[in-house]
Amino acid sequence: MLRLFVICAPAMFLVALSQAQDIRVPASVTAGEEATISMSGSGRASFYLVGPGVSRKSEVTLGEEIHLQAEDLRNAGEYLAVICSGTCRTTSFFVNAAKPHSLTFLVHPSRVPVAQGDAVSGVALPFDQYRNLVLAPETIDFQLTAGAAPLLSRSVRTQGGISWFRTSSGKSAGTLQVTASLNDLSTRRAVQQVASEPCNLRIKGERTATGVVVQTEPVRDCAGNAVPDGTIVSFTATVGSEKSTVDAPIKQDVARAQIVAAGPAVISAASGVVIGNEIRVGARP
Amino acid sequence: MSRVRNLTPPCPRVALAIATFALLLGSTLYSFAADPAVQVQFDAKHAGPRVVEDLTERVILRDYRFAWTSMAQALEFNTLDPLEGAFAGDARQWLRDTVVRQQQSSLNQRYANQNHKLEAVFYAPEGDVMELHDTAEYQLQISDGAKVIHDEHVVVHYVVVMTPAADRWVIRQLQAVPQF
Repeated sequence: MLRLFVICAPAMFLVALSQAQDIRVPASVTAGEEATISMSGSGRASFYLVGPGVSRKSEVTLGEEIHLQAEDLRNAGEYLAVICSGTCRTTSFFVNAAKPHSLTFLVHPSRVPVAQGDAVSGVALPFDQYRNLVLAPETIDFQLTAGAAPLLSRSVRTQGGISWFRTSSGKSAGTLQVTASLNDLSTRRAVQQVASEPCNLRIKGERTATGVVVQTEPVRDCAGNAVPDGTIVSFTATVGSEKSTVDAPIKQDVARAQIVAAGPAVISAASGVVIGNEIRVGARP
Repeated sequence: MSRVRNLTPPCPRVALAIATFALLLGSTLYSFAADPAVQVQFDAKHAGPRVVEDLTERVILRDYRFAWTSMAQALEFNTLDPLEGAFAGDARQWLRDTVVRQQQSSLNQRYANQNHKLEAVFYAPEGDVMELHDTAEYQLQISDGAKVIHDEHVVVHYVVVMTPAADRWVIRQLQAVPQF
């Protein structure tokens, strides 16, 4: 035992000479800013900094301040400062996101029928210049405008770096501008508002030499917006016990079809879930 | 927060004994690290405004566990490959930076005995963003070559942002915070 002590004592004494005492780290560090770590003691030591995006080792002199470069502290999160001089000591500190520098803004959908409840939604996330999510509460202003008419203006505080809104679409077809603003930052998205389901679908028809030509009146939704070209209108003709259907796309507000029928026919139309009127066309003379 | 670990061998004989023990312990830890089981408990009940669908809940659980398994492999073996697929955007970038810097400094980190209590706190109306809080417990070991410089059981709080990709959910933000 005595021999062991004799062998070990000098080594332990040397270790003690270069042993570090306390590590002092800043209470709060902002991403992208320099910081210093100080440690009492004397002698040389190995210093390690391990954190998100950084892992470095350097030789330091105990008792002197350790300067942390701004580029090593760009990512928000927890960092470990490890100093080894015989004994290893570890201290952790947190780097917080810097002030907001950009806004990520997700808006859905890109195309929406008018007058739909809770149809438009947006989520905004503020990021600092190093792309850290800013978790400190910030107020995001959401504004929706259709043409010159304001549709919605709402201020929402971020919670955990996220704020969001949900609202109904406007009454008129056209572009809906959706803007999220935070101080002098602003991000804009566009949502195309299109007519909703056709309303009061009405058709008229006339007999021709080869059959019956049927067409709709201008197809509009209940708010008076023209239903987009390409929307399908289905014409169904019943002649005696036979039924035939023709699908025709709306073109310049009107859908048109020619139905081959020699006898008297009952013709109806439908588009989506909307059913139009019925017309009766007499037999070919 | 100061944590002290005396890792200095007090003398050659004792050092030999410690080294032998460490070798045995190390091989035990290594075999455990190869075990892909990462424990994750997921609570999606309090997420809003959208209710988390059952299928999404299962997928999040699967992909979050996979992400931590991948991250642990990348940081332990200093390889970038495991980061592909599980991470995207900023999270993938800083993890890649960490691995590259670890390669340069001969450091590595080992995450063992992982246990995550994951809670969804926000699920976007259209289902394209989810924010989660993870209270993670694990044994964190940092080594400089063969020398362990830090070994501690830690509890860390993470704010996580995940988004859906083609066939999975990926982590876009992974930020440790002092508390939620």
